[in-house]
Amino acid sequence: MTMNRRDFMKVSTAASGSLVLAVSLPGCSTIKTGFEEETGQWSPDIWLELTTNDEIFFTLARVEMGQGTYTGLTTLVAEELDVDPARIKVKFAPVAPEYRNPLFGLQLTGGSTSVASSWKPLREAGASARQMLVMAAARVWKVDAADCTTQDGRVVHPNGIDSLRYGQLVELADKEVIRGDVALKPRSEWKYIGRKGGRLDTEAKVTGKAGYGIDVELPGMVYAVMTRCPRYGGKATGFNRSDVMAWPGVLDAFITERGVAVVADRYWRARKAQEALNVEWDFAEAIDLDNDQVFEGYREAANEDAGAQERSDGDFDDAVENASRVVEAEYEQPYLDHAAMEPMNATAWYRDGAMEVWAPTQAPDLARIAAARHSSLSPSNVTVHTTFLGGGFGRRLTQDYVEEVAIVAYKVKKPVKLIWSREEDVRHGFWRPAMLHRMKASFKDSELTGWDHQIVGPQILDWYVRNAAPAQYPWAPQFLYSTLGRVGLMAEGVATPKDISAIEGAIGYPYQVENVSVRHTHTDPGVPITWWRSVGYSHNGFAVETFMDELAHEAGEDPLLFRRKLLANEPRHRAVLDRAAERAGWGTPLAEGRARGIALFKSFGTYVAQVVEASIENGEIKVHKVTCSVDCGQVVNPRVVEDQISGGILFGLSAALFGEISFKNGEVQQSNFHDSRVLRTHEVPEVLVDIVDSDIEPTGVGEPGVPPVIPALGNALFALTGKRQRKLPLTAG
Amino acid sequence: MALSLTVNGQHYSLDVELDTPLLWVLRDELNLKGTKFGCGAGLCGACTVHVNGQPTRSCSTPVEYLDGAEITTIEGLSENGELHPLQKAWVAEGVPQCGYCQSGQIMTAAHLLANTPSPSRDEIVTAMSGNLCRCGTYSRIVAAVESVVDGVGHYEPEQGGA
Repeated sequence: MTMNRRDFMKVSTAASGSLVLAVSLPGCSTIKTGFEEETGQWSPDIWLELTTNDEIFFTLARVEMGQGTYTGLTTLVAEELDVDPARIKVKFAPVAPEYRNPLFGLQLTGGSTSVASSWKPLREAGASARQMLVMAAARVWKVDAADCTTQDGRVVHPNGIDSLRYGQLVELADKEVIRGDVALKPRSEWKYIGRKGGRLDTEAKVTGKAGYGIDVELPGMVYAVMTRCPRYGGKATGFNRSDVMAWPGVLDAFITERGVAVVADRYWRARKAQEALNVEWDFAEAIDLDNDQVFEGYREAANEDAGAQERSDGDFDDAVENASRVVEAEYEQPYLDHAAMEPMNATAWYRDGAMEVWAPTQAPDLARIAAARHSSLSPSNVTVHTTFLGGGFGRRLTQDYVEEVAIVAYKVKKPVKLIWSREEDVRHGFWRPAMLHRMKASFKDSELTGWDHQIVGPQILDWYVRNAAPAQYPWAPQFLYSTLGRVGLMAEGVATPKDISAIEGAIGYPYQVENVSVRHTHTDPGVPITWWRSVGYSHNGFAVETFMDELAHEAGEDPLLFRRKLLANEPRHRAVLDRAAERAGWGTPLAEGRARGIALFKSFGTYVAQVVEASIENGEIKVHKVTCSVDCGQVVNPRVVEDQISGGILFGLSAALFGEISFKNGEVQQSNFHDSRVLRTHEVPEVLVDIVDSDIEPTGVGEPGVPPVIPALGNALFALTGKRQRKLPLTAG
Repeated sequence: MALSLTVNGQHYSLDVELDTPLLWVLRDELNLKGTKFGCGAGLCGACTVHVNGQPTRSCSTPVEYLDGAEITTIEGLSENGELHPLQKAWVAEGVPQCGYCQSGQIMTAAHLLANTPSPSRDEIVTAMSGNLCRCGTYSRIVAAVESVVDGVGHYEPEQGGA
């Protein structure tokens, strides 16, 4: 059947009286839903726009930092809309309440939550739009909508021959009403979910066309660099301004809350003038500690304060009293750097009483607060444009670099880009906290009867509220920030959750032991910290799975079998453990000088077991092979899962082998990739990723690859040398 | 002082301070943003371009040594709108995650193949070991280079290209 103009007119008129959009969300001026005649564009919901020219735009509310949201979330919407994901153009979301991550109440990408939190709403968004297009076509054809089908961007007539493009239907579809829930495709009908589709952003990333924060270009833009106090907390009180201003191209130089800013017409000119800086610092509130003092402080705190009881099964003291043997160990883990390849940077433009920010940020709404912090602006006067991120790993959840550029932009009133050097990136980070773990276990004969885990160190939310509070309560004294931060966030409709950043992974101890005690001794040396890929799971994974290995050895049992028999009620744990062991050939002979280690850890809802095969060659640790089994529920794109898990494994290995930020008199001792190393290609082991087939709701994959590999490698080295390493990074000696 | 450069076949006469690293001239004077800043010290390879056919860390190469040089960046690697075989291999293998280091990775690989048309795996790994990738795409990078070597058997660099 051919559509004629009269049919369209008739339907349009007939349909004009009824207009309800089931999936459109109210409230925000930056979000428009409905059909716009001028642009020929239909936005059935906050995520989708379809045009009369058959273009489809999807608004991505979880940033793309390499973890694959650009592809994964687009696939969800495409599946239900019934179009090839490659046909969809992706736009990065503006800041709006509708784009908040429901798990945090913030527009934030982190915690390996993007697929889990989008799984249902995005498929429903796609399905609703598709349903309305089908209903519109059915009305045109005067057939039953239930008899129509769709095929890659077209609605197909029940006769199987005629079809209408989505673009021809968008204006009519806008008038359709969906009553009740929209049906989602059954798993058997999926065309894109679960397939090894290519990533949608690949071509842009191999041609240099993908736009990262550092690539933002604005008319009349100037460049800024910031000299920060070498010791965190110190303040600039004076500097040789006339010397600096004499350098070519320098436009301004001034003291800010974050250090001394130098602004020039060229980036390189700003850098050169920066070298001429001589800053007077006030160190009154600056940190002044050495690395050893951090752990001495932790030990003192651990001795004085047993800590908050975070989990208590049975009676651990009782278990110790009745024990035939008690085993104890203490683990030290250092501060860790994120080392995203794109150094911290942001661009801002203050004009007409409003600020625009372009930033590679994991938390655009927190960027708004940060940008407004040192100005007369309120966060609602700040617009944030998100770009591609050259890595995030949690570092870009902290908005210090946005705060800096906003301070400069507010003063110079020109578009300004502020770029950190790598040295600044390494020395002025917010780190994975250094942590101390005290472990104690009791055996009654050969049975493990008690487990006590004391975690000693800071928690991350303290730093977050400290940063958020001053924006909301500039009049308040600093000692109130922690309290006010929580209150303030709640006033904004964001409930501050219980901070489990120090204890996550420890409280979820999965092994069947009658008496389990997990405690957190809260102590904070004042070194800035933030989320780091896998957060608390990273250090708890090492402590729990290394100690389990120690206990297996104490019990004279195979580390695999020792774990396995304590997992009778944990089928998903056991399944990945068995699969990894089998695929790695656990228990089979190895080449001489090699050994295997095993570890199992659930994080972010995902179960991961790994077997590492390692040796020591020429005085260096060599990792030959990592065999990994992962259960993350339903897989959206197996290739992305594989990449995220193997990427996490390499991230963890870098930490295990090299990772350490250390301090002397409050100053960071590392500076660039030569002394703050990450894994290079010749050091990369063979990595096998085995994914469990599952139709359980999906869980995250960005982070769970990291935690098990560190203890698995340590356990392999123990098997190799008989020497237990209780301090990271691991050494060959 | 005026500086003469040929970038991706196009001639430029530039008035820049001669100690400016090539990276910032490419990015900020010529608006070729595909070449990335990573470390400023030649340690990570994100800024790799070809200078007279040699892979060069543009972040630590002052332009004063480059008067009259021929430079190829990631934007100049593909010709007549068609992707370079390595770029195609990168797409087929699905290499990039965050993607930030990939321009430098591809430029390093392009130089390898231009000079060693059939490299062994060890030669590929050695050639690529100066380029960091924090996302951990290393094995896909090696596979992508190998696929070009295997697919073509003998890689023929194009005239005037890499």
